[in-house]
Amino acid sequence: MKMIIKSRHTVIVALAVTLTMFATSCADKLDEPALNVRLASETDYTKTQNMIRPLIGAYAEFYTRGWEDYPLISVRGDDVNAGGRGDQQAFGDTDLYKYDNSYWMYNSVWQNLLKDILVMESTREQIERYKEFAPNPALADQYIAESKVMRAFLLLQWSRVWGDIIIPKSSNLEDLFAVPLSTKEEVMQHISDQMDEAIPLLPTVHPRDRADIVGGVTRHTALGIKALANLEMGKFQAVADATGEIITSGKFKLETDYYNLFKIPGKLSQENLLELQYSDLGTGSGTSFSYLFAFFGPENWTPKVTGASSGWGFYEPSMKWIKFMLKRGETERLETSVLFTNRGITEIKKDPEFATLPAFVKNVTRSGDQINDFNREMFASGKHYLPSDQLTSGRTAYGENKNFICLRYAEILLMHAEALTSGANSSAMTADAAVNAVRARANMTPLSGVTNAQVMDEKFAELAMEWGTRYFDMIRLKKYDELSYDGRTFSEDKAYLPYPQGQVDRLPVLKPQ
Amino acid sequence: MIRKLLFTCLMLSLLVTVGLAQSKQVTGQVTSKADGTTLPGVNVVVLGTTKGTTTDVNGNYTIQLAASENTLVYSFVGFSSQTVQVGDQTTINVVLEEDATSLEEVVVVGYGTQREKDLTSAISTVKSEEITRMPSAQAMQSLQGKVPGLQIVSAGAPGETPVVRVRGLGSYPGKVVGQNNENPLYVVNGVFFDNIDFLNPTDIESISVLKDASAAAIYGVRAANGVILITTKTGKFNQPAQITYDGYYGAQVAQNVLKMANSEQFATMANESGSPNDIAAIGSAMQRYGRSRVNPNVPDVNTDWYDQTLRVAPIQNHSLTVAGGGENTTYSVAGNYFQQDGILTGNNSYERFNLRMNLDYHANDWLTVGGNIVISNAVKQAPDSAVWNDVYFAVPTLPKYDPNLTTAVPINYANAQDIGYRNGQNPFPTIDFIDDQYKTHRFLTNFYVKIDLIKDKLTFQTTYNNGSSFQNRRKMLLPYFIGTNFKRENASLLRVNETSVNQIWDNILTYNGFFGDHSLTVMGGVSFRDEAYERLTATGVGFTDLSKENWYLHQAQNISTDLVDDAGQRYYGLSYFGRVAYNYKDKYLAYATFRADGSSKYQQTWGYFPSFGVGWVLSEENFMANSGFIDFLKLRASYGVLGNDKINASSGSNVTSQILTVFGDVIASGETTSSTFSYLKWEATKEWNFGLTSRFLNNRLAIDADYYIRDTEQAAIQVTAPTGETFNRSLGVIRNSGFEFSGTWSDNFSEDFRYNIGANFATLKNETRDIYGQAYIDGGSAEFLQRTIVGHPLLAFFGYETNGVYQNNEEVAADPVAVANGLVPGDFKYKDLNNDGLINADDRTILGSFLPKITYGANVGIGWKNFDLNVDLMGQAGNKILNRKRGEYNWTSDANMDADLAKNRWHGEGTTNDYPSSAGLRRVWNLKMSDFFVEDGSFFRIQNVQLGYRIKGAEVFGARMPETRISLTATRPLTVFKYNGFNPELGNGIDTQTYPIPAIYTVGLNVKF
Repeated sequence: MKMIIKSRHTVIVALAVTLTMFATSCADKLDEPALNVRLASETDYTKTQNMIRPLIGAYAEFYTRGWEDYPLISVRGDDVNAGGRGDQQAFGDTDLYKYDNSYWMYNSVWQNLLKDILVMESTREQIERYKEFAPNPALADQYIAESKVMRAFLLLQWSRVWGDIIIPKSSNLEDLFAVPLSTKEEVMQHISDQMDEAIPLLPTVHPRDRADIVGGVTRHTALGIKALANLEMGKFQAVADATGEIITSGKFKLETDYYNLFKIPGKLSQENLLELQYSDLGTGSGTSFSYLFAFFGPENWTPKVTGASSGWGFYEPSMKWIKFMLKRGETERLETSVLFTNRGITEIKKDPEFATLPAFVKNVTRSGDQINDFNREMFASGKHYLPSDQLTSGRTAYGENKNFICLRYAEILLMHAEALTSGANSSAMTADAAVNAVRARANMTPLSGVTNAQVMDEKFAELAMEWGTRYFDMIRLKKYDELSYDGRTFSEDKAYLPYPQGQVDRLPVLKPQ
Repeated sequence: MIRKLLFTCLMLSLLVTVGLAQSKQVTGQVTSKADGTTLPGVNVVVLGTTKGTTTDVNGNYTIQLAASENTLVYSFVGFSSQTVQVGDQTTINVVLEEDATSLEEVVVVGYGTQREKDLTSAISTVKSEEITRMPSAQAMQSLQGKVPGLQIVSAGAPGETPVVRVRGLGSYPGKVVGQNNENPLYVVNGVFFDNIDFLNPTDIESISVLKDASAAAIYGVRAANGVILITTKTGKFNQPAQITYDGYYGAQVAQNVLKMANSEQFATMANESGSPNDIAAIGSAMQRYGRSRVNPNVPDVNTDWYDQTLRVAPIQNHSLTVAGGGENTTYSVAGNYFQQDGILTGNNSYERFNLRMNLDYHANDWLTVGGNIVISNAVKQAPDSAVWNDVYFAVPTLPKYDPNLTTAVPINYANAQDIGYRNGQNPFPTIDFIDDQYKTHRFLTNFYVKIDLIKDKLTFQTTYNNGSSFQNRRKMLLPYFIGTNFKRENASLLRVNETSVNQIWDNILTYNGFFGDHSLTVMGGVSFRDEAYERLTATGVGFTDLSKENWYLHQAQNISTDLVDDAGQRYYGLSYFGRVAYNYKDKYLAYATFRADGSSKYQQTWGYFPSFGVGWVLSEENFMANSGFIDFLKLRASYGVLGNDKINASSGSNVTSQILTVFGDVIASGETTSSTFSYLKWEATKEWNFGLTSRFLNNRLAIDADYYIRDTEQAAIQVTAPTGETFNRSLGVIRNSGFEFSGTWSDNFSEDFRYNIGANFATLKNETRDIYGQAYIDGGSAEFLQRTIVGHPLLAFFGYETNGVYQNNEEVAADPVAVANGLVPGDFKYKDLNNDGLINADDRTILGSFLPKITYGANVGIGWKNFDLNVDLMGQAGNKILNRKRGEYNWTSDANMDADLAKNRWHGEGTTNDYPSSAGLRRVWNLKMSDFFVEDGSFFRIQNVQLGYRIKGAEVFGARMPETRISLTATRPLTVFKYNGFNPELGNGIDTQTYPIPAIYTVGLNVKF
């Protein structure tokens, strides 16, 4: 008995010692940092060679667009119809100016734009922290300026669609709740001012000649966006000045092959000031970056290269626009912009004025893809079409490897012409010269003494189905009768989409007063 | 102090030795009342002391008694204890009665045990018989309807875990699997788990649900969602080897299968839709597949996709256990095999093989060593849950196969795109061309050394626990070609390797003391936790040879680096904890625990979690002594504080992540930095519990009741920002309160005819008390909003209230709302709740919560001779379900719908005032979140019916037949509900892509050799 107690005593002492040691040694473990989470606070900003990484991240987010973004932004003009016919009825209703703010697409597009605007804010904040240590602070300024240009493009689209919006000034989500509402005018002025800040800091080369970020933003991209914003405000002199500067730089030229401008050969074309870049990296499988072009594609086709996927059939050039083009005797631009089905051709021919059609109006494209009849549409968009024989062997997704053009020189020229025919002055180029440059490329005869109406018609012909340019032109010029077409009735109160219900619920500033 | 204790011990030992001088010997045998068998391992203890013995293999015992010792207590797990006055007897044979409600029983509490009689907190214990009565791979499933305050939401898919909620919802439910932060903490033989899907239910001895904070507070920061303690079976001292086979085999059958619109109904809907494409698609279907001879305006196809995709699936379970013990050793060794196919056709099953061993060894009179090992190997074939949406939405005018599709590879499944729909729709490619296998190996081991520093008074135990899990996922997506837009070009292989190793080292000192009428238990301990987790993910695309031998990453033509992910976490925790339980004359009880938890997970390292409880046993008071019908009556009150560390460590910090893009067709790597912000503090749950434990009428009636108020303070809530991103915010106070009741009655009509009846129910009120002055916080998705408002439940469904349907043009013309919104007959009317003459967002209101206001269960057991019958019932009421399948017409409308919607649609004046027209179903106006989509989720179910027959002592061909029990079980044979879906059981109340829960019919066999 005594023996046992003695040995127990020893055990107790040993245990007490072990426990104490164990407890203190383990307490240190509580201060171990978390594994495999890269906290932003751990970034080493003295490693300024990494300063470009947030900028590349910004481009990555800018290029990664939700498939619904572009359709909603651009569907309402008289150049394009929603197609679809039944599925996504509220998208079709939007095209008919019947809006319902509970429709998911409204909220989703709002979120996609807002999210990326915050990415640009975060990019700016990150680069500013590197700038402190950067051997060449001017480079940091250039990077920040680039993110400002992308931000401006997103803000422009956002405000064009919804009118008065909020202008986020930081990446902090919480700050959003305190941002006041800005009028569309204020947003456009903000964009213009931001571009003025950015322009002197940006490289003066053509985007495709940039070495660090091929196809990135340059001074002329900023000038182009400045012109777009001033056009929205009706400040034509500012438009003429900005576009004039781009023209006199001599860095941009119209691509001679209009058809291929919107295809693989048009990637990083001399005509482009800004494009969303995608790539399959030249491989038949594996990593690929792409926009969801299937949305625009015909639902039924017999591709020249078998196995190439068709599309969803949701984006249909309007009969009004096709007839407008036929009347003008357009060839290159009509052929490039529209994929015809036999059903569609029959429908055009029902109009005695168009009983006979030019030979290129057929259901086989120049590249040899045959478009079959399908219920949803009579026509599909040609500018968002990639011929099956331009797909990388092994890839089959509709449009894969194609870039998405955001701003091109033809629009710069036509904005210039519009400004000059609206009372502005410029020594860079005359309105006639600008319009005729665009016409010549499209095999159209030159005009002389162009009127403002002719410029607007030229924009209609040249920029159809591109970023809703036509719709927003008609809105700012209050030419509402143009938008009342094919059974639609437009009125001024339909100019902007209602704020998405999901946003009104979260941002009290959007609540109707 | 220790010296003093040792001295006391020495003195006591001397006293015992002195007492032995004038001893007498008592012998006897202990048998069971139910079947007359002898009971080995029964504890025979002298009342008021710890002196005693256990019965041997044949139920015999011998004990030496001092002259002063005159009372013996016979106790055995699962039986009522009996107290016998010895007097002059030298042979005492005792018959023990089985009793599930015995208060003498020992209940497992955190880091120790307590007599149920002594509890001051709310703990419910469920025994092995109840757990195994229902065939399921998951032990927790069988607790459904049995424990008031415990909500179990069944999971239908093989190998999936049910949602388990203890006393409502105090934390925000996670959206992503694996971050399910509402799970309770499971403690299996001392090891912490988030989920016990790997355990074989037949291996479980008991499950204790620590419901209130006072009971759970000893687990500190892990305890906020409740704690469930599980002990696995052990052998017994002096018991001969008992070999038991237990198994069942049966079939699972889909139940309450949702009726979808048939082709005729669907064609009618399409033709009334006003959508040219949908009308044309019916025509295309007739063109392609012919016209029905019965109705020439309907395609000659009528596919019931549920009928095509659901099957009767087998389920089986086989366990073999060997358990017993000698003088110094107990052991229990078991093997188990479980297999279950899913009721969805295709590659969809769960298979598990478990081995378990338990060993305890009294090395000498002061040292005991032992350990537990559970090894679990499981293989799960998971379906793509998207298939449930496919099956719901696939049009009935599409056949399964299309003989015209000659180019289809490998099989000519029909393609809805061929008849004009946007998607292929046919669910079979989703079912067939996937092989998603999870191989999981889990190990639960612990080893302990227990030292009796002072025999039966002061013990020290050190335990090393290890819970490890190794999971290997191989998801192969096989290529197919049905149409140019309905295909998978390249095979792709996803591999995920996950390793998690959780180690816990516990050191515990326990003191038990009796001082006259006072009894005291003091426990103190320190625990160190190390939780490590690693995951490696990679995807390979393009395989030249598709045979299974080549399903390895290096066979892939391309491995995208952006799909390679290497992740890991490691957390450390250090805790000091203690418990004091005091008992005066079995009349007054006091209880307190404290835990200090240190965690490496947050900047705030230490958290402190106290609790206390008091109990008053009225039935021990003199004034109650004469009330004959009361056997036991105790009032309890307790309070405790709990913590929650289920929130991700990185929450609240900005994180930088890599992102890839291309410039001029060249890949480039950049990064983005998140801008989420979170104000995160430790969540603290504070709870008051008031309860009553009672036994009446000779212990035949037992009534337990509890009332609780549980406040979660600084609750972290996921808030959806305008960008759609979510972040956490320490939101305020969430209160759960409720009343829980359970009553059982058991009696015999005669020797041969016994019965018992039990009933329980629990109420729940979930209420947001404070959100820092904000009006509301929004969750859910933008289209299916769930709003949290002060005074209402967390994440309540939020939308419009419908008020009938416009019946005719006059009605439309007369209503300015209808005119303003361009409505037509067949569209919904909504209630103008703020009476401003407009219908807009301000007219939305709370439409209900997914949390049931009341849950209930009942049980009837009847035994007659060798037959026994058990019926379990359960149900819930007061909860709502969002029928999101219907709501998703908002996103895509070229799809089928359920028959109820098609049949009852508005199609002309007076047809209905509750459903919109077919055309209306395509308009956003009618698809706004409203009470049309938020349905009553109440249900009542016959949960389990089991009929058993026991054969005992029979002889077959002259040899003694082992004791055998044959049983027939019907699980969930009937569920009654109004909801327009398969299944009223949904964890978050949102019905989309839900795996249906089958009824199960099995034949079971239990043989004791």
